[in-house]
Amino acid sequence: MPRQIRSFIEYGAALALLLVAWWYASGPMGMPKYLLPSPQATFSTLWKMMVDGSLWPHLWFTVHNIVMGLAIGAVAGIALAYVLYKLPRLSTLLDGPLVVLQTAPKIALAPLFVVWFGLGLAAKLVLIFSLVFFPVLIGALAGFRGIDSRMHDLAVLLKLRPLQRFWQIDMPAALPGIFVGLKIGAVQALVGAVLAEWISGSDGLGYLMTYAGATYKTPLLFAAVLLTSLLGIALHAGLTAIESRVLAWKVQDGR
Amino acid sequence: MISVSGLTKRFEMDGGASVLALSPVTHHIPEGAFVSIVGPSGCGKSTFLRLVAGLEEASDGTITLDTGATRRPVGFVFQDAVLLPWKTVRDNIRFPLDTAGAKKSEGNKRVQELIDLVGLTGFEDALPKQLSGGMRQRAAIARALADDPPILLMDEPFSAVDLLTRETLNDELLKIWKATGKTILLVTHSVEEAAYLGSDIMVMSPRPGRLKKTYSVDLPYPRTPETKALPGYHALVSDLRSDLRETE
Ligand SMILES: Nc1ncnc2c1ncn2[C@@H]1O[C@H](COP(=O)(O)OP(=O)(O)OP(=O)(O)O)[C@@H](O)[C@H]1O
Ligand SMILES: [Mg+2]
Repeated sequence: MPRQIRSFIEYGAALALLLVAWWYASGPMGMPKYLLPSPQATFSTLWKMMVDGSLWPHLWFTVHNIVMGLAIGAVAGIALAYVLYKLPRLSTLLDGPLVVLQTAPKIALAPLFVVWFGLGLAAKLVLIFSLVFFPVLIGALAGFRGIDSRMHDLAVLLKLRPLQRFWQIDMPAALPGIFVGLKIGAVQALVGAVLAEWISGSDGLGYLMTYAGATYKTPLLFAAVLLTSLLGIALHAGLTAIESRVLAWKVQDGR
Repeated sequence: MISVSGLTKRFEMDGGASVLALSPVTHHIPEGAFVSIVGPSGCGKSTFLRLVAGLEEASDGTITLDTGATRRPVGFVFQDAVLLPWKTVRDNIRFPLDTAGAKKSEGNKRVQELIDLVGLTGFEDALPKQLSGGMRQRAAIARALADDPPILLMDEPFSAVDLLTRETLNDELLKIWKATGKTILLVTHSVEEAAYLGSDIMVMSPRPGRLKKTYSVDLPYPRTPETKALPGYHALVSDLRSDLRETE
């Protein structure tokens, strides 16, 4: 608990400092409004959109896409990692192609995804998926490959069925690695979701940004950026909370 | 109960070299025997147990376990505990029962008995990381006993526990053995422990690992602290010592 409180205070202090700097730059320092809106203007825009309800569909759209992409990417990443782990031959065969795909700049491919999958939801999910899939794959693979060989002896001794072995031994043992991948993937998912909304469509926080930018509504732009940052923090905090719950059994080394 | 014939194990190393861990061993272990296995480090004791448990493929020779249709004929206690770190002590001990589809209610009673037996009462809900090495090992022993296998293989099970606990566990093990009639194979580095526990003793020697000698121990059961005062016990211990010294 004290650790959580401390990090909460640290987060809060950093945020407050940023806010003060922002306020100073937009107020006393006299930056022009169309370049830097004041915090007051930004928050009042945000508040208005909350009250009249026009914010929620956009927020929901982005969150929904992130969660979907994250979930599908995580399941697929873990599944492929398990297959590669179980079939070392296949994994040496696929090593090269996977490295190429993994290092390919997915964000630069976003327009191509639109060409392939259209302007709708599919292209957005594909982009998010491609960003989440690889970190989870790498993390899960490291997790599976790091399993203590004596746990396998145990599985053999107890004649565990493949599914029992997966759920009772392999999956929990690989969870620390999977979470490393998931946390990287979550940040990527947010970037992917917003980017996909920049490119096409008329929903989501990313769309709000391009709309605000095009119409010089800088307070709205700032509100959207702020909300996106908060979403990123919430995502990270949520995953960390789940992690510390699920991995409470882990021996903490160092920290 | 356990018949091995011409059992050989060769480990293939990277680069084509191979280590002969066990050169042909032929031996019969009768049902209900308590076999202590002693020998210097690296002589293939663990390899022998792992072969019997089916954890390692024999390079040559055969192993026959006369256990009928038992699904899990052997319980195994590793050199270190190998508990599942995400499960509590209780759930680790009941793991063999749960994965065999035993009823929860049936398991509960059995598991509590085992927890009391190995002296972990009060630590049922602790995670392995909260236990000492010796306590973890006791949990592992309880787990190996959980689904009541006819054969129990133990690889230096007590090397991580203090002397007093070790003696207690030795006596508990003898009690379990007497009560259940299990066939037990126990690897130990202590010749005293080997002599105190075993109805039979296998002495192994290294490079290449082989069975050097077997003893049939004629010290009476039940074995008690008085056993350790018997001349026969001292003679056996010193014989074992000199066997081990010769193999160095
Ligand atoms: N997986 C393996 N790969 C290669 N060599 C192995 C492997 N396991 C054991 N060996 C070799 O086989 C020999 C016997 O090993 P084993 O572990 O059975 O010895 P041990 O009698 O149990 O020794 P200790 O008393 O130290 O536990 C050793 O020379 C070891 O190097
Ligand atoms: Mg050994």
